[in-house]
Amino acid sequence: MVQYNFKKITVVPNGKDFIDIILSRTQRQTPTVVHKGYAISRLRQFYMRKVKYTQQNFHEKLSTIIDEFPRLDDIHPFYGDLLHVLYNKDHYKLALGQINTARNLISKIAKDYVKLLKYGDSLYRCKSLKVAALGRMCTVIKRIGPSLAYLEQIRQHMARLPSIDPNTRTMLICGYPNVGKSSFMNKITRADVDVQPYAFTTKSLFVGHTDYKYLRYQVIDTPGILDRPFEDRNIIEMCSITALAHLRAAVLFFLDISGSCGYSIAQQAALFHSIKSLFMNKPLIIVCNKTDLQPLDGISEEDRKLVMEMKTEAMKTVIGQGGEPTNEEGVLLTMSTLTEDGVIAVKNAACERLLNQRVELKMKSKKINDCLNRFHVALPKARDQKERPACIPQAVLEAKAKQAAEKEKRKTEKELEDENGGAGVYSASLRKNYILANDEWKEDTMPEILDGHNVYDFIDPDILLRLEELEREEGLRQAEEEGDDFEMDGQELSLEEQEALAEIRKKKSLLIQQHRMKKSTAESRPVVPRKFDTDRKFTTRRMGRQLSSLGLDPSLAISRARSKSRGRKRERSVDKREGDGRDAMDIDDNQASKKLRLRSTSRSRSLSRPPGEVIPGEGLKDSAQKIKAIKLAKKSVLKRNKNARRGEADRVIPTLKPKHLFSGKRSIGKTQRR
Amino acid sequence: MRLEKCWFCSSTVYPGHGIQFVRNDAKIFHFCRSKCHKNFKMKRNPRKVKWTKAYRRLHGKDMTQDSTFEFERKRNRPERYDRNLAENTLKAIKKIDKIRSDRASDHIKNRLKTGKVQRQKEARKQLELGIHLVKAPLALAQDSSLCLPKIKDNVSQAQTEENQPMEE
Repeated sequence: MVQYNFKKITVVPNGKDFIDIILSRTQRQTPTVVHKGYAISRLRQFYMRKVKYTQQNFHEKLSTIIDEFPRLDDIHPFYGDLLHVLYNKDHYKLALGQINTARNLISKIAKDYVKLLKYGDSLYRCKSLKVAALGRMCTVIKRIGPSLAYLEQIRQHMARLPSIDPNTRTMLICGYPNVGKSSFMNKITRADVDVQPYAFTTKSLFVGHTDYKYLRYQVIDTPGILDRPFEDRNIIEMCSITALAHLRAAVLFFLDISGSCGYSIAQQAALFHSIKSLFMNKPLIIVCNKTDLQPLDGISEEDRKLVMEMKTEAMKTVIGQGGEPTNEEGVLLTMSTLTEDGVIAVKNAACERLLNQRVELKMKSKKINDCLNRFHVALPKARDQKERPACIPQAVLEAKAKQAAEKEKRKTEKELEDENGGAGVYSASLRKNYILANDEWKEDTMPEILDGHNVYDFIDPDILLRLEELEREEGLRQAEEEGDDFEMDGQELSLEEQEALAEIRKKKSLLIQQHRMKKSTAESRPVVPRKFDTDRKFTTRRMGRQLSSLGLDPSLAISRARSKSRGRKRERSVDKREGDGRDAMDIDDNQASKKLRLRSTSRSRSLSRPPGEVIPGEGLKDSAQKIKAIKLAKKSVLKRNKNARRGEADRVIPTLKPKHLFSGKRSIGKTQRR
Repeated sequence: MRLEKCWFCSSTVYPGHGIQFVRNDAKIFHFCRSKCHKNFKMKRNPRKVKWTKAYRRLHGKDMTQDSTFEFERKRNRPERYDRNLAENTLKAIKKIDKIRSDRASDHIKNRLKTGKVQRQKEARKQLELGIHLVKAPLALAQDSSLCLPKIKDNVSQAQTEENQPMEE
């Protein structure tokens, strides 16, 4: 059976776009370059080609439109009627007719202008002829613009129509609005129809498919029908009427016995009677829906009477089809889509009735004889009266029963969660089903990181063995290490030696430091000479300390230094105190006093020491060494002002940075340097 | 959760630290801190940058080959959990760590040994040559050991003796 599919119709462009497409195609696909120097035949040919090409394109496109749109008389009357209801047959035909005339007009224009072009004598004339031709064609298209727009809208709507096969097994659901047709549809098929509490939720036909006895049935949900005279019906209702009228289907008339749809049973019964003419030759089932709100037995007497009337009508249809013994349950059924009580029963009943009817019809028609010849169901001939049912081993039966029980008994994780306080309170133990060697280990927490290592990198089934090996190795290695260490110890310095070394190094660095200071100051800064000794560094105490730190006995040296360094005053005083009897100083005293006496007798007191005289002392062995030292000293020292006293000759800068030299702009010239 | 090694300096990158860079050829570089990251962006070779582990290993400053390194190996297939194994592993990690660090420090010690020996010899020579700066030859003749001389107390006594006549 042909599946009516209006999705394959090509898009109808609107007027402007149509013109643009065709003209741009002409421009692209035909040669564009022409000069007035060409031969006249060539010019004519050029422009004729353009005109013809444009005409051909228009013709093609318009033809496709006309061919693809279905002719309402040629298709199944159901679709024809449906399209008429939706789009108005006349309007539709008119639009297509306009397209047709446009096509013819364009052909005529092209023919005329080609004839004229044959006699064009200049480039300009040919060109203007071509322009005129194309212009006229475009005007034609512009005029049919509204038709094109209308056809495009129709095309879009047709593409969305449900693909209903009018010849296959179909079930039609009809009734007042809001009685539960769409809910029923959702229950038995996979169609997802909008179910809302307001009336006319379903505004067009919807198709779903369901299976029964290995056959596929179409289920069509219709918009609700109100009880009105035929002429007053709107498009939506007309859709369902059309479906009822043309489709050979089982009809399920839905009745809302609770009245929650807003219409009483009386109104629904009235509707039933007004459209019962449409139920001719169709298996009819009256379905009482919403029994959860109002059971069938609980309705009032009048309502019951009305329902019974409807039932008798339905029975009539049953009887009319075939004189088979009818079962009354197959005609009036109750169900509730909310509790899903009786839904399957209704579906089965409807499918059964429809199937029977179709089989009946097929049996009566002539074609069946051809088919029947080909059917032959082979049954083994019964040998005796013994019954031989199918043999199912006991184990399989038990397993099946157990599986069923287990499926019911098993608790889902979600139920567990709900019991224990919901999502925020209960967290499922993900480790419940772990397969471990010992079940006690399921809740163990194992650290992933230890001391900067990843624990998982170390896991090894024979880690203990390897560890033992390693420790053995380590023991051996450590023993070797100890052997090596002994060699080293001999070379070390003892503690005292280390102290001595430290002292040596300190002294050395001190010497170096002093030398560096001397070196740097030798040229530049005047130094106080040793004899003035403002810091009092050169004392015998100090010398004594230094000598004793070197390990010598300083007492002799100190006494000698003291005796030598004493001035005349001291000598004199010592002279006076001769009586004290100092043995140590005796020799020196005698010598000193002798000299003095000598001198004092021969010369005046005011004479100072002779210039060349050098007194041994100051750490030097004898006069010779001292003379040498003096010479060295004089050599190493430059004749600079070493008395550390400033004289008139020493240049003095009273102010180092006088303001007048370091600030101010110059009246003339640059100040790049100051 | 895994501890990664910084690509530049080879220190461990703990979770929540550092940056991971994924290159267009899908190679992943982990960095422990912005110092390493910036060095990488400057295209420096860690084998030439003194403070990195790569340099140290390459130039023999740190231990390179050892059996303790074979214990730690990235395993791609997880083992089924076994409590005993886990306990043993944790204990083993500690021991292996200790052994490894011991060996590493021994390696460094050995490396520095020649320098140490040389310095000791130099010190001894310096001591011998320079002992005259802290010990007078006389004291050295008396006590030939190379250590600081004993300080005699005579200094203070001599001083008191001398002072008295001056004061008077």
